[in-house]
Amino acid sequence: MTEQTQAAGEASRRLLAAGERELQRIVLDMHDGPVQDIFAAVSHLQLLQRDLTYEPEAARRAGQAAALLERALGEIRTLIGVFRPPGFERRDLGAILEGLTVQHEAMTDQPVECSLDESLGDCSLPVKIALYRILQEALANGHRHAGATRQTVSVERRDGELRMVVTDNGRGFDSPKVLAREADVGVEGGHFGLRGIQDRVAMLGGRFAIDSAPGAGTVLTITVPADA
Amino acid sequence: MTNDRKIRIVLADDHGIVLEGLRALLDSEGDMEVIAATTDGAQVLPLVRKHTPEVVVLDYELGGMRATDIIGDLRAMPDAPRVLVLTAYHDGETIRSVLESGAEGLALKTASPQQTLSAIRQVVDGQLVFPQAARRWLEARGTRGGIMDLTAREREVWALLAEGLTNVQIAARLSLSENTVKFHVQHLYQKLGVKNRTEAALRHQGPGGRSGPPRG
Repeated sequence: MTEQTQAAGEASRRLLAAGERELQRIVLDMHDGPVQDIFAAVSHLQLLQRDLTYEPEAARRAGQAAALLERALGEIRTLIGVFRPPGFERRDLGAILEGLTVQHEAMTDQPVECSLDESLGDCSLPVKIALYRILQEALANGHRHAGATRQTVSVERRDGELRMVVTDNGRGFDSPKVLAREADVGVEGGHFGLRGIQDRVAMLGGRFAIDSAPGAGTVLTITVPADA
Repeated sequence: MTNDRKIRIVLADDHGIVLEGLRALLDSEGDMEVIAATTDGAQVLPLVRKHTPEVVVLDYELGGMRATDIIGDLRAMPDAPRVLVLTAYHDGETIRSVLESGAEGLALKTASPQQTLSAIRQVVDGQLVFPQAARRWLEARGTRGGIMDLTAREREVWALLAEGLTNVQIAARLSLSENTVKFHVQHLYQKLGVKNRTEAALRHQGPGGRSGPPRG
């Protein structure tokens, strides 16, 4: 690896960490502002709706307004779930990955079987960020696109490498075709899913394999050096 | 606790607007009354000591404090209230830290306040209110360190239950209503990870089961 490539790699990794910090700030702003205000407004509207027993039309409007705000809260809940970084610096890899599976289950009501090496240990910050965001994307894909009813994730450590396998029993897809379609994403590009996973792995000098075909579920295997 | 008595609640949230809105909503419910409310985390313990509420609703972040920092002290009180934590975050770490702090439930600020009302009623009924997804941690809470998690009152009930007393007898002995005893017993089962009186009594003979003489 030339000095230049190495410097570029380090710069990308710094940018990744900076991106996560920025997300944290945005989520915090949402939490401290809109969430509190909307929750309080819904409380008042529900009370108003009850007080307006003798004004059915006005009560209906108050109820409608409350329902709209509840829907907005639900969308914020999803955004916070997706974007909030899970305390990468403070917590070890196993804890953040397990926490993510629980969060995914809580949001989708879909079981995720999680098996992590007892001796997973910790890893470098860029690897932690990458594995977390990759697992998040893989679980979301399995739920959103594949209609999976069961997903599994396993992570093991061998010879200084971390290997993460994510499977689902969904409808599967033609992976070369999807990857080809995603090859040309700019900032305006719509879908970063698989390509994003591939790029994160490449940045860490890892390996990426996806085994899927229509009707056959999906197995995603990621291998990265633990201290990349 | 009889049915015509209201659920007495202490409310703590460092966002004044949330406190005001939620307080108004709870007070308008026929079966609830907010007996004290504060935006200051440091005021929670004194208020609970003074009012002995059945439920304390705590925001996860109270200014510079975390709800989970004061739950231990709340649970150590002789008549420990049920604790419901309100949070806008539903990630694994938040759920887990609330669960392991010994709180009875979690309600989301990103859901309808009606869910907070239901959660208050559920914890008063002796249920633990957490997302189904957290069941693996709930199970762990029932077995690992569950004994350490018991309130003073639950230890008393456990000791009497292990002596073979019925709920009615325990109620008479501790000057509590039978419903309150039922409620403590159900909680005891959840925390010990047992299904019935026999298992609970057997656990009392086991290591760490000696809870000392009941305090009056």
